[in-house]
This record gives sequence, C-alpha cells and structure tokens, in this order.
Amino acid sequence: LHSFRGCAVREFSFVAFKPGCKGLHITTEACWGRCHTWEKPVPEAPFIHRHHRVCTYSRTRHATARLPGCRPDVSPLYHYPVALLCHCAVCSTQDTECETF
Amino acid sequence: HDGLAPGCHLHPFNVTIRSDRRGTCKGTHQVHACVGYCESSAFPSRYSVLVASNFTHNITSASRCCTISKDPPPPPPPPPPPPLCPDMWGHLCPPQVKIEILTAKACRCDMCRKSRY
Repeated sequence: LHSFRGCAVREFSFVAFKPGCKGLHITTEACWGRCHTWEKPVPEAPFIHRHHRVCTYSRTRHATARLPGCRPDVSPLYHYPVALLCHCAVCSTQDTECETF
Repeated sequence: HDGLAPGCHLHPFNVTIRSDRRGTCKGTHQVHACVGYCESSAFPSRYSVLVASNFTHNITSASRCCTISKDPPPPPPPPPPPPLCPDMWGHLCPPQVKIEILTAKACRCDMCRKSRY
C-alpha cells in the first residue's frame, strides 16, 4: 500500500449509531487511494492552475442494517452506501460531505 | 508522471510568455510545478452528517491534494511601459518589458481547493 497509486475499493469498518439506539459495528466496502493532483504557476491571473481530484465512490449499492436496542419510537433501520467501484473525481457536494485537511 | 512515487514533488516545466495575443514576440522560461499523488478516501457518513445535510450527504470524502507549499502573493501589475523611443535612425522601438512569473519552491500534500477542482 505504501507505493499504491490510483483509487480502489477497500474494506472499511465503522460504528453505525443514531440517537435512541445502540451502536452496531459494521464492516463494508469504501474507497481509498492516491489520485494524481497538481498545481502549476501560470503568468496570467489567477496565477495558479489546479487539478485536484479525490478518491470517491463511482458505483454504489445501498445496504441496510438493523441497530440493536432501539426505543419503540425510533426506527432500527440504518442505511449506508457500499462501494462497488471507485474513481478519482471532483468531490461532488450534491451527495458528498467534502472534507479536506 | 508514471515514475512518480506517492507524495507531492517539484516538477519542472516550460512556460511560454507572449507579448500579445498574436504572439508577436514570445519566449520560454522554466519554472516548477507541484505534481504528485496524495491520499484520499471516501466512506459512509456519520449520522450527524446525514442529519445536517438532510440525508443527502451519505458519503464523506477526506482528502489531501498536491499543492505549492505556500501560495506566493500574485505579482504586482507591471508598470505602464515607457513610450516608444526613437532609435538612432528615428524608428520607434518597443521598450523591453520585464514579466514576473511564479515558481514553486516546495510542495506538500495539503488542502484540496474546491473552487478550482
């Protein structure tokens, strides 16, 4: 993995939780990788051209888990995406929380 | 860039500078860009993110991108060129114009800039 370049499906574990239920440990498929990105100076404004792409879901299926210990007024169903394919692409704020650090 | 190891590296390239849109006068100058492969991932969003996004953001992307280590400020606009000067035969000659071009000195995997994805 130290030398991997590109974007691929990778196993991912998380605790599904919502108020009124107990947490459930879920292992699923998500995306991980290293995408080709660059910044280069140019003589005209804005003086820097950027090509920033991130490893994200390309094709998904939806899965549903049943959380334990839910209050009677809370649905135990928890929906989450499962990655079938991943690719390097612009982070779409339509369906994605885009975090960068 | 097939030989690049993961990470973010200085990469030389040539910039062509033109005196006008038609390219009456032009020259090339070597500067450095930052090019590379930085880590990113995408995974199911936490419930708090789902609620905050009205259940539209079911994926969270955490990413870093190859950036010029510190964005230098844009160069000041060039001063207005002096008027054309007559040469020894009385012909009007264009003055020499000095143009500043940025170049990367260091690179690092840092914040992806959404505005210019």
